[in-house]
Amino acid sequence: MSAPRKILLVDDEEGIRKVLGLSLADRGHEVHTAGNAEQALALFRELLPPIVLTDIKMPGMDGLALLQAIKAEALVLGRDVEVILITGHGDIDQAIQGIKLDATDFVTKPISDDALDIALSRASERLELRQAIREHTEELERLVEQKTRELIAAERLAAVGQTVAGLSHAIKNLASGLEGSIFLLGKGLELDRRTYLDQGWEMLKANVEKIKDLSLEMLRYARPEALRPALCDPALPARQVAELLGAKAQAAGVALTLAHPPDMALALLDAEALHRALMNLVGNALDACQAAGFGPEAPGGRVLLTVEAQPEGGVRYSVNDNGSGLDEEARSRLFTAFFSTKGEGGSGLGLMTTKKIAEAHGGSVAVTSEIGLGTTFSIVIPGRNGLNL
Amino acid sequence: MTAGTGLGRVLVVDDEMHLRLYIAAVFETAGYETAMARDGEEGFRKALEWKPDLVSLDLMMPNEGGIRLFQRLKADRELKTAGVLVVSAIGGEAFRHSLALVRSGMNGKDGGMLPDVDGYVEKPPSPEALLSEAGRILAARGAGTGENIKEA
Repeated sequence: MSAPRKILLVDDEEGIRKVLGLSLADRGHEVHTAGNAEQALALFRELLPPIVLTDIKMPGMDGLALLQAIKAEALVLGRDVEVILITGHGDIDQAIQGIKLDATDFVTKPISDDALDIALSRASERLELRQAIREHTEELERLVEQKTRELIAAERLAAVGQTVAGLSHAIKNLASGLEGSIFLLGKGLELDRRTYLDQGWEMLKANVEKIKDLSLEMLRYARPEALRPALCDPALPARQVAELLGAKAQAAGVALTLAHPPDMALALLDAEALHRALMNLVGNALDACQAAGFGPEAPGGRVLLTVEAQPEGGVRYSVNDNGSGLDEEARSRLFTAFFSTKGEGGSGLGLMTTKKIAEAHGGSVAVTSEIGLGTTFSIVIPGRNGLNL
Repeated sequence: MTAGTGLGRVLVVDDEMHLRLYIAAVFETAGYETAMARDGEEGFRKALEWKPDLVSLDLMMPNEGGIRLFQRLKADRELKTAGVLVVSAIGGEAFRHSLALVRSGMNGKDGGMLPDVDGYVEKPPSPEALLSEAGRILAARGAGTGENIKEA
């Protein structure tokens, strides 16, 4: 016996409605009846019964048309409905057509209790199966959604964790400096030693300066990069940077060279932002040369700043050095906040800012490097595909 | 280099000038003789010349890193008796882990197994921590010298 359900019984013969209706009610079902297909369709919309039992041969709209109409309606409403056809003798062709139209089963008049039970339990099984599949799918979707949310949260936490760890390292270094200043000033006063007082005082000033720099850089990094693009010569920021850092490079035993094609086409860029980005890259290149041992007494460092046109009005800036190079671990962490290869010297924010500027232009930053041979950083700004404003 | 009151000689190796001055001042005012070096290379040279009793060592330095200097000190017949106090921003556990990695990677090379460092102070170093670790290392080293002679 199948579970009691709401059943719509459709037959143009009142006698059958009565007998079959009683028989169904006797099985515990809630029975509604209709004498024709039109009435049945109206009742179906109103009651949404999961099972419809309909005669095939009816005046006007027949059972097969009703079957199709009800299936279509159910699909729109997102409801499950099982339709069982009632056929007379010699209606087997229509019954088969009904099965093709997704009827659950058919019972033949005169209707035996057994046949009715089998048809009803088949309908129930199909309803339950669909329900189970739907629940399973929903559960899967819910699971996927939950796991995705957890993953994103974990990644965010990891990023925050890395940032906090880096920041904590920077603060630890500052605290070291301040602790040192306090000790030196204290001992200077205690022992009346001018040297300690001078050292402590210098150290205090330098550390306060570092705190100011760090907070400024953090602010600059936290602020969204709002570009003010204008048509300009793409070589302009590179020329400015080469001029500004020329003296510093020379003093460090590094030959800083600028290369760009003459008369480059104007491009829509924020020259000021790119100036900052290139200052950072060229500054890093000089530091890498110093780390490789080049210096005033050991010249031979090379930094090449190149500007090239890209298709459709894009621009590529590259900064190539023959400095110390980056190992794989450093390369993979380059764009992490507060990661620095320069010990106390770097805030670990410069490249992050550079990347942000490139991305705000719809572009990207790429790096190739080999330990002991040097490093090349490139900012590629695509042409015409719009600024990321 | 400064003259102390005979507690011992401490060589301070750190790439950061302020920290170098500070750590040296801590030892100096406590009565040690001090000298300073800014990287591993200079540190090794000064150690050879000056024969310190204790080397206060920063681990993350450009050019020659702290671990390499530690290796060289321990590989030197004369210098290996000097105590090594690591002062580093790397947390104690992470430091021991990386040292263990280095040690496992250099079995048999450079004169055999690298010993453990003698002491460790995490940055920012407090004067108390520096002095108590240094005192402990030097006391243990005084006791240990006899064993070294026995071995030889």
